[in-house]
Amino acid sequence: MVRENMPRTGKLISRVMLLLVCSMNAVSVQAGKPVIEIEIRDHLFWPSEITVPANTKVKLLVYNRDPTSEEFESYELNREKVIMGNRKAVIFIGPLLPGEYPFFGEFHPETAQGKVIVE
Amino acid sequence: MLLTSVIIVLREVLEAALLVSILLALSTVLGISRRWVGWSLAAGMAGACVYSLGAAEISDWFDGVGQEVTSAALQFLVYLLLLLFTLLLLRASGARQLPEKLTMLIMAATVSLAITREGFEVLVYIYGFSSVLPQFVTILMGSAIGASIGISIGALIYYFVCSLSYLQSLVLGTGLLALVAAGMLSQAVLLLIQADWLPSQLPIWDSSGWLSEESVTGQLMYALIGYEATPTALQASFYFGGLLLLLVVAILAVSSRRKFV
Repeated sequence: MVRENMPRTGKLISRVMLLLVCSMNAVSVQAGKPVIEIEIRDHLFWPSEITVPANTKVKLLVYNRDPTSEEFESYELNREKVIMGNRKAVIFIGPLLPGEYPFFGEFHPETAQGKVIVE
Repeated sequence: MLLTSVIIVLREVLEAALLVSILLALSTVLGISRRWVGWSLAAGMAGACVYSLGAAEISDWFDGVGQEVTSAALQFLVYLLLLLFTLLLLRASGARQLPEKLTMLIMAATVSLAITREGFEVLVYIYGFSSVLPQFVTILMGSAIGASIGISIGALIYYFVCSLSYLQSLVLGTGLLALVAAGMLSQAVLLLIQADWLPSQLPIWDSSGWLSEESVTGQLMYALIGYEATPTALQASFYFGGLLLLLVVAILAVSSRRKFV
């Protein structure tokens, strides 16, 4: 019903979006982004420092091994994501210029601190 | 820990409180019944409960980026609803009356969706501490303080906008609404970049040395105008494009009302 009521431009936009999404997925499969795994245990990041190449998009896989939820947050990386207890999260970062980009667990900032080093 | 909880809750509540207070003030100024507020607060909180209960499932959608996509969708909808409200205001200018029921519905939907999005994080955060009683009490206290500060700022804005003359309140109200809406749009784009649904780029500027997003002013600016220290070109174009569109409609709507005051 919603589709029928959708104006023609809306349909066009949704088609273009779909095409865009499909093509981007194709690119990401071809490019094979580097994947880096991080664990959260006892409100700490393991490892707390990761090194990634400059000007490259990287897929972070964050496993939360704690039963409590955490929020991966970084002002420098412009990232923010809630990770539920005993779950994993996918976060894409980059491309980035060389430098250091701190991140932290917003729900436990006293201990959960880490940084991405871009070389 | 107390301070952390104050800040986390304040950040989320502030964004929602700004939206509620501006819409409430416009409601008062335009002579629209404010009955929608209670309902939309309740619906928003119910929405936040559903979102946080389903958070683990939702996060796994779309290959692990369900949370980004859901939150972005909520924020896109909030932007579209605010645009719709401003368009209604434009259409109803002059002798024509604003359709009260439809306007109330749009305002209610906007607030419900915004609270669903902001409330989700607060609920997940508070719930995480519910198993450890002493910590839980501290977190609840901090959350209450954070929420009170956020609501107080909202109340201040409400009374300030209402205290102005009819035209001044309309200008300020629709102007603030445009800024909040553009901020929502840029956050939605950022979330889709994070999900890898939109291409990511290097930031076009870095104003973190001038105003850090971590500072109190930075946080306030983030909530009010969607301030971002290191935006990408895509995010900035959506922000300014979205802002311009809303401002143009708002200016047309307000200026056509000038003749009838």
